Amino acid sequence: MINKKIRIALTKGRLENKTVDLLDKIGYDVSELRDKGRRLILSIPGENIEVVLAKAADVITYVEHGVCDIGVVGKDTIMEHGGKFFEISDLGFGRCKFALAGKKGSNFYEGYGVKTVATKYPTVTRNYFENKGMDVDIVKIEGSVELAPLVGLADGIVDIVETGTTLKENGLEVWEDVAPISARLIVNTVSMKLKQERIAEIVKQIEENL
Amino acid sequence: MKRYDLLTPEGTRDLLFDECLAKRNIQERLRKIFTAYGYSEVLTPGLEFFDVFNGKVHYFPQETMYKLVDGKNRLMVLRPDNTMPIARLAATRLRAEALPLKLYYNQSIFMVNPKNSGRDDEFTQSGIEIIGGEKTAADYEALSLAAQALFACDEDFRLEIGESGIFRTVVDDLNLPEEQAELIHSLIESKNYPALNEALSGVKGDAAEACRALPSLFGESEIFDVACKYMYSPELKEKLNYLHGIYEALCSMGYSGKIRVDLGLAHKKNYYTGILFRGYVEGYGQPVLSGGRYDTLLGDFGRNAAAVGFAVNVEAAAKVYLKRLEAPLMKPSDVLVYSERGCEISGLNHCRELIASGLTVFNSLCGTFDEAAAYAKDHGIHRIDVVGINSEVTVKEV
Repeated sequence: MINKKIRIALTKGRLENKTVDLLDKIGYDVSELRDKGRRLILSIPGENIEVVLAKAADVITYVEHGVCDIGVVGKDTIMEHGGKFFEISDLGFGRCKFALAGKKGSNFYEGYGVKTVATKYPTVTRNYFENKGMDVDIVKIEGSVELAPLVGLADGIVDIVETGTTLKENGLEVWEDVAPISARLIVNTVSMKLKQERIAEIVKQIEENL
Repeated sequence: MKRYDLLTPEGTRDLLFDECLAKRNIQERLRKIFTAYGYSEVLTPGLEFFDVFNGKVHYFPQETMYKLVDGKNRLMVLRPDNTMPIARLAATRLRAEALPLKLYYNQSIFMVNPKNSGRDDEFTQSGIEIIGGEKTAADYEALSLAAQALFACDEDFRLEIGESGIFRTVVDDLNLPEEQAELIHSLIESKNYPALNEALSGVKGDAAEACRALPSLFGESEIFDVACKYMYSPELKEKLNYLHGIYEALCSMGYSGKIRVDLGLAHKKNYYTGILFRGYVEGYGQPVLSGGRYDTLLGDFGRNAAAVGFAVNVEAAAKVYLKRLEAPLMKPSDVLVYSERGCEISGLNHCRELIASGLTVFNSLCGTFDEAAAYAKDHGIHRIDVVGINSEVTVKEV
């Protein structure tokens, strides 16, 4: 059981660079991660760690099935996809929020008609309004959700807001915050027990270098 | 039009050959252990009334159950669990039976999983339930059998124990509104330290301290020393001591190094009231065994009796077993029998003789010898017996 290989799944893109910086700061040799070409599985020499690059939702899937032991993924993806794993650490980077937004100056809660909400995150949206005890129609949009209220498809949107620039430029505003978001460290429930020492060591190194 | 007649529903599968053998092997090993210890097998129907699983407490969210209606328009479900039907059985048809009752089962359960999750909607559980008996003795026996069952699945297993009472007492002592208590429950279950700290911010006192510490209290014997500091009442101390006793007992039974403890073990909604346990093997991302003590469940069905039990996920154990195999489980037949045209009955008689002598045979049913020889070659059969007129047998080694 000593020094078993640990496989870490990283969310490709924005979180990836920050995570690689973090691993670098710990003192891991991240040369393969920086110069990865088209490879999807990379190793950290000398540490017996393998790094897998995947789309956010897939990070959860790989960790949940136990083919990866540790994952780095945004809280937004966790909230939308759910799943059974340990969510042990808030990495603090990739900070933004889910917010309910719509046309500047209008009131979402006005009137008795059922409101239509456009979003890329139907589960998050449904949970939010279910907790409020409010019926809404949810329309799933794949691309720029900001368009939906502008062309009259929806009364409001639930989306990830970072700076709010896109909203502002399109005459929209944040009405209320739904939930804060940041990158999380997740661990497979069985790996946590079978590889406890090694995982605790890695998690400690990560937390000390945040 | 889509041809659904060619597919199995998502979450179900056909098991073939080695997959079947692996599953049967695991089931047989478990059955041997259970029957050796005097457990009696029960089979309960695959279809049950919805009400069985929809009692005072909703242990199973209704969206996770496969439902249908019977001829009288009553709501039925494909059983999502084996323990509740057995509790029903023990409280009804077996109500006059003296305790302890030791039962084992080996049957499928059904659940609706989120689509495309790659999880099984139907899988077999093999497990035991001990109803009645002196509690400590019953807990020891259940855990000893759990360790043996895990060993039968994979020698390199880990058996993890916890106590649902410790966690419940601590959360109760926080005196939080139900919604917040439920949140804290799920945060401990997912070891979500940051969110747990946030949810408990501003909450002071021993219970809050214990609550913050619980999810990180997992490991081996050293955990008991650390946990001791957080057990602020005699009731909690007693529960921890009980768990410690079980831990030591299992180690002394030869499982030292394989037993772990997790004081943060907590399922959100379950019928467990005392010790909890889970079994892990390398190569499977979920527990392959889970169980615990449930002292109030039978009461829901009208018989006040304490109970403890566990189930092994046979499909999971079989998958791991198949992965570890070096040679296929399927063995080719010893002899292929080819009967010439008109000699089919003599051929069958010859098969019978070979089988009686302890060999396995494959009656080729082929029209020509060449076809039979090709079949034997493809399937790794090294002896062909040709049966001709007057029951004449020619043996050919290939």
